[in-house]
Amino acid sequence: MSANSQSNAVDPRTAPGYKLLTNRIGLWLFFISDSFVFCGLLVTRFYLLGGERPHLEQVLGLIVTSVLLISSFFMNRAEVSMAHGDRKGFVTSILVTIGLGIAFLVGVVGFEWQIAPFGPGDGPEGAVFYMMTGMHALHVLTGVIFLIIVLRNGLKGLYSVERHWAVEAAANYWHFVDVVWIFFYPALYLIGTVK
Amino acid sequence: METSKTNEFRRGMLVFVVLAILTGLEYLIGTNQVPVIFLWLIALIKAGTVIWFFMHVFRVFGSGGDH
Repeated sequence: MSANSQSNAVDPRTAPGYKLLTNRIGLWLFFISDSFVFCGLLVTRFYLLGGERPHLEQVLGLIVTSVLLISSFFMNRAEVSMAHGDRKGFVTSILVTIGLGIAFLVGVVGFEWQIAPFGPGDGPEGAVFYMMTGMHALHVLTGVIFLIIVLRNGLKGLYSVERHWAVEAAANYWHFVDVVWIFFYPALYLIGTVK
Repeated sequence: METSKTNEFRRGMLVFVVLAILTGLEYLIGTNQVPVIFLWLIALIKAGTVIWFFMHVFRVFGSGGDH
């Protein structure tokens, strides 16, 4: 191989596909590491409360779970819209997702925390409930902030069909938060007898 | 391209309907004394569905979704 052909050789690590792949791997490594926190909280719940569960409003639990589920649907729509160049669909869907995320926060922090018959310092059930929902709500809040940033950048026209990694990352983060709640919902509201 | 978008929207709707049905089932099981194992099973199916269809975990292994 001549010196000229060597200098013209493309380094595969600088190719866009490689960058995207490493971005994805990095994001998934973050999800795995963050999962340890949530797994720890789940284990704590069963260690401290065992076969009992906190006295919570069942209907409200189902409502906030449904709200988060619907938000995941719209987040998926937003990502698909951007991947196909539908900017209007992207903006509409991401706005609905943000609204539903805020509604979830209001449901959990604004209502459930207020009507729960115990406080954070009232024994293990208070500690478990407020820690689990608080840590999850913090992730929802950061997700909403992430989505607002992505929406702002989308309105500025910074994303395209070819380049929208931030949209994909925000969508995956949002779905990750949904996956966490998929396990937290039965652990807090459905499993065990009311204490 | 429009057909591909419609197909993806349709798949998203189907996944949502499946998740909604499983959530309803979960609520019914949780409020009626049914063994807890079913709740865990439903949670695992729901999580797997979201991870596969919404989070596209297969993309990490370099297949599809390039942009």
